[in-house]
Amino acid sequence: MSVTVDIKFKLNGVERRATVPAQMSALDMLRDRVGLTGTKYACGEGECGACTISVDGQTVNSCLMFAADCDGRDLVTIEGLVTSPLGESLRKNFTKYGAVQCGFCTPGLMMQASHLLKTHPHADRDQIKRGIEGNLCRCTGYKKIVDAIADADIDAA
Amino acid sequence: MSEIQNYTAPRTLEEAADVLRAGNVTIFAGGTDVMPQMKTGKLKLQPTLMNIRHIPELRGITQAGGTVRIGALTTMTELLNSELVRERFNALWQACDHFASDQLRNAGTIGGNICNASPAGDTLVPLLVLDANVVLTGKPNGAVTTRTMALKDFFVAPGRTRREASELLIAVEMPLPPADSISEFFKFGTRPALDISTIAIGLAALREGKTLRDVRIAFGSVAPTPIRAPQTEAAIEGKPLDDATIETAVAAAARDIHPISDVRASDWYRRELIHNILQRMLVHVRDR
Amino acid sequence: MDAIVKTRVVDTLIGKRIPKMDAPEKASGKTRYIQDIDIPGQLHAKILRSTEAHARIVSIDTSAARALPGVHAVITAADIPWQRPIGVAKDHLPLKRDRVRSPRDEIAAVAADSEEIAEAALKLIKVEYQRLPMVANVEDALKPGAPILHDEDMAWTTPDGRTEILHKGSADNVAMTFNYAQGDVAQGEAESDVVIEDVFWLHYVTHCCMGVSGVIAEFDADDNLLLYSNTQVPFLHKREFAEQLGIDPGRIRIIQPPIGGGFGSKLDIYPFEPIAIFLAKLTKRPVKLVFTREEEFIASPTRQPVLLKLRSGCKKDGTLTFRAVETLHDNGAYTSWGATTPFVMMQTVSSLYRVPHCDYRTRAIYTNNPYAGSFRGYGNLQATFAVEAHMDKLAEAIGMDALEFRLKNAQHQGETTPQGMQFKSCGFQECLRTAAERSDYREKQRSNREKWHDGNPIKRGTGIASMLHVGGGAKIYPSDGCGTILKIDDFARVTLITGASEIGQGSETVLSQLVCEELGLPLSSATVVNNDTSITPWDVGVHASRTTFIAGNSAIGAARKAKDKILTAAAAKFERAADSLDLQGGFVVEKNTGVKLIELGKLIRSLHFSDKAELVMTSFYYEPPSAHQDRNFKGDVSAAYAWATQVAEIEIDTQTGIIKLLKVTGAHDVGRVLNRLGIEGQIEGGIVMGQGYALTENLIVENSIVRNPNFRDYKLVTAPEIPDMDISFIETMDGEGPQGAKGVGEAPAICVAAAVANAIYNATGVRIYALPFTPENVYRALHGHAQAPIWIPEL
Repeated sequence: MSVTVDIKFKLNGVERRATVPAQMSALDMLRDRVGLTGTKYACGEGECGACTISVDGQTVNSCLMFAADCDGRDLVTIEGLVTSPLGESLRKNFTKYGAVQCGFCTPGLMMQASHLLKTHPHADRDQIKRGIEGNLCRCTGYKKIVDAIADADIDAA
Repeated sequence: MSEIQNYTAPRTLEEAADVLRAGNVTIFAGGTDVMPQMKTGKLKLQPTLMNIRHIPELRGITQAGGTVRIGALTTMTELLNSELVRERFNALWQACDHFASDQLRNAGTIGGNICNASPAGDTLVPLLVLDANVVLTGKPNGAVTTRTMALKDFFVAPGRTRREASELLIAVEMPLPPADSISEFFKFGTRPALDISTIAIGLAALREGKTLRDVRIAFGSVAPTPIRAPQTEAAIEGKPLDDATIETAVAAAARDIHPISDVRASDWYRRELIHNILQRMLVHVRDR
Repeated sequence: MDAIVKTRVVDTLIGKRIPKMDAPEKASGKTRYIQDIDIPGQLHAKILRSTEAHARIVSIDTSAARALPGVHAVITAADIPWQRPIGVAKDHLPLKRDRVRSPRDEIAAVAADSEEIAEAALKLIKVEYQRLPMVANVEDALKPGAPILHDEDMAWTTPDGRTEILHKGSADNVAMTFNYAQGDVAQGEAESDVVIEDVFWLHYVTHCCMGVSGVIAEFDADDNLLLYSNTQVPFLHKREFAEQLGIDPGRIRIIQPPIGGGFGSKLDIYPFEPIAIFLAKLTKRPVKLVFTREEEFIASPTRQPVLLKLRSGCKKDGTLTFRAVETLHDNGAYTSWGATTPFVMMQTVSSLYRVPHCDYRTRAIYTNNPYAGSFRGYGNLQATFAVEAHMDKLAEAIGMDALEFRLKNAQHQGETTPQGMQFKSCGFQECLRTAAERSDYREKQRSNREKWHDGNPIKRGTGIASMLHVGGGAKIYPSDGCGTILKIDDFARVTLITGASEIGQGSETVLSQLVCEELGLPLSSATVVNNDTSITPWDVGVHASRTTFIAGNSAIGAARKAKDKILTAAAAKFERAADSLDLQGGFVVEKNTGVKLIELGKLIRSLHFSDKAELVMTSFYYEPPSAHQDRNFKGDVSAAYAWATQVAEIEIDTQTGIIKLLKVTGAHDVGRVLNRLGIEGQIEGGIVMGQGYALTENLIVENSIVRNPNFRDYKLVTAPEIPDMDISFIETMDGEGPQGAKGVGEAPAICVAAAVANAIYNATGVRIYALPFTPENVYRALHGHAQAPIWIPEL
């Protein structure tokens, strides 16, 4: 087995430590080591966005991030997002506007939507579509996801 | 998957150079290329995995005299947010806008995009037409040395560059173009981003009335590496940009490129696209 | 009287925008999909797949893999002598014994302490192959002297030692044939003023559920099997797994965690499921097996590629005279549901429009390619693509407006087609008119056409297509039913225990709506249990757009029983006639006045200690008024039929071949809208799936190998690419449907590609007969560099 790395990072507001194999992805660490399964594996290549998390305020595909690279960084996952006012607003809107069907892509979209609203609070529908272009959804046809984001409470962002 | 025996995240350039000097190192920054290539076995990991993200010397976009320096760790998002890039390096800004997705733009770095040396690398075509140089640092003989190389000489083959194993690409530098210069980028795809380019075209030049001077044209995904197009450039250089010149230029482009057929497109179609889109870009430049 | 009328304005749940009940959990990341479930003590399994398309397995050496620390079991076919062929034709062993027929084929499997160890063990397994000649396409498979893929009998040794032949070896590569005829095509052709014939090619695509396939198998101490499975048909699969194990189906329990997408992909069992079961049985540990995305692309089913020859005719007055269809389905190496899509295809050919004379013939052909399963639309995308191209071409040939031509031949309510389908509700004419009017179809058709030669490389086009699909179940299996158990507790909370599975489509919400509507309760009163075969009543599965119709009627039946019982009790208590009472807003009310008599929960509590409060109702809807087809494929297979028309507007760059889908105007006969939010979501999602089929998705299979098993090169539609969508609902209030509703799940994906093809012609004057309309394919067609599909010469 590969060498392990001791890391310390903030996860959803709480400092924690972990010892991870050097080649492990942040996604595998979150799911298999930490036990937070809201972040999903769907492609492992950064092409679908199901594993989107926020790192130091920027969203990234956690499947492409080395777990070791989480050292010293501030991570927020879907489990953390939904405890915030923006997360709650988005959760309500995703529900209200029918943006959820099978739901597998939803946590990643919630994460990406929150980042979009923080960086572009007044994004129009076209900008929202561009903002979630890295998140694949096979069920909804995206329109209702755009509806949900367009009407989110930007004051909460 | 080979075993990683050592993981290191140096805090200074010198430390990184020492690690590289010891040899057998895989370098990563954002991880967006290394991680999937490692999983698919495309990339054979070296015993040492080095994370260069903590080296402050590799960050930032700075301007000194007539030269703009972009640190290797600069992400696509940072380039997109840079006024300087947006206003003076339009082709590069366009390429960043078409780069993958927001998540990948947030993680992917310009240094990584260059060192990955994909023939379809999004930033490479604009950097080629912007006359970019890469800055490489190493400590091969115990002392830190830095060398600069023109980007057009940097690529050897898909995934292979002239970077020595002991070297780190620390920045890319470009001359600040005169205010009346143009730079254009076109990436072919059915959607704004999240697409590997079927072909890409970069164009930069100085405009003098109806004539273009100092013409630089580059193509992506039509050869083993991104390429400058000398015959196409010569066909346009200093000539009035009329229909005849454009026709000569697109004919020359066909001689500059060596496309292959793969799952994304046939060589024939790539040739047709280069012809049609280059023509369209030149007409657009002429008529603007 | 006025006052009374006002009190009778009853709040209804029907037609409202009702949010999906499980959405908050899903949006919080709390929903546990199969990938998220770990059972204490579980092992992780991985499968070794063939590197050859067609070969004899000479030897398999697993010794090094078995010796790896952390490995609990390594199995090959030799270890499971009792394994039984699976699939529609029972031509497919989960672990291949002595021969592989496709590069996806399962050869060995490992159960280990971790996925990494299992993966490492796979690399230690050595397989020696003796390569056999392969058939990479239907044409080669039909040539004289072609390698025959299933020339050997597929036998099974029963637990008591008998050998049964489950699949007979064949002298050719024909996996299945379908022949249907009505009228006399020769006569139809003789009566025609115009006859046209074309060949169409419909390509490979696959489901791309965002949640990859997975299963967890566990045996208890008595060897009863508990399976956590993503299946869409748990009750049918119980039987299949029982056969596999040679045990009573009653000893199998299937729990379905929430599914990350179905779309038909989970209608058959695939080798990975029995393999996980074998490993669990051998190791006596829970075994979890989850695919990678690459595996999902390589080893899950596809939509069936079809080569289709269509010959059609009409009279000058626009009357259709005949249609003759011949298809060759690429079945792949094994037979799953893909081979049976002709059931649906022939309906579109015979009955979407009135055609007196029809011939339909399909041969599904074995190749070494990935094998085709069921996929939303079930052959109808392919059939509609061809039929609607000819509707445009025939109209043009006789100089008739394409809409007028369709209206002239479109079905009406009350018709029975020669194939035996009875259209008790039919909004087809209204779908056509609505979609055409709302999209300004005629004017745009005219003006686009005028610009064919205007020199602008960017063209616009508009195209129309329609579809017919089952909307009231489909009698494919011996029964088409669904059962319901409904329990009302003493706080008037309803637990709806239904056989109908939820795969993201929103069945739990719509079923709750139907029940709460009957019982006059708010939706928040309902809880749905739908995922455990030990609890839920029987159902035939999620497919054929049947759940709202069949499970809905079943749920309503149970709710009505409960309502009768409650009203009878209330009538006794208040000394009124039961039929003068009703349930509204959580109360027992006087039907005529709306005056509240008692809160429902209070009434139930007052009955609590008597024998009258047995508020557990069972109901079923096992026999909708539909019929099995006879041997000639004639019969009214569905209790209701759904109709739709879609108009696609495109922009096409003739210098690149890039097509932008600008707008889709859809008019859908859905019977009645039950949940507006849910049905919009189904239709929007279906349209975008149809867009992918038309424009972006292409599973590239070369020499039987999938060349693009990833989202980088298998392109799903992304958010910036979606069209504007204008959707109208045509409410025909089907007499048999729950509250008048019909099924809609598959409909929206079916006609997009056909409409886009017609739009390309309207934009450019070029008709493209092969999908997908990816930029290069379109560019080639526009510039004369495309090879049109050709029919395989009769051999």
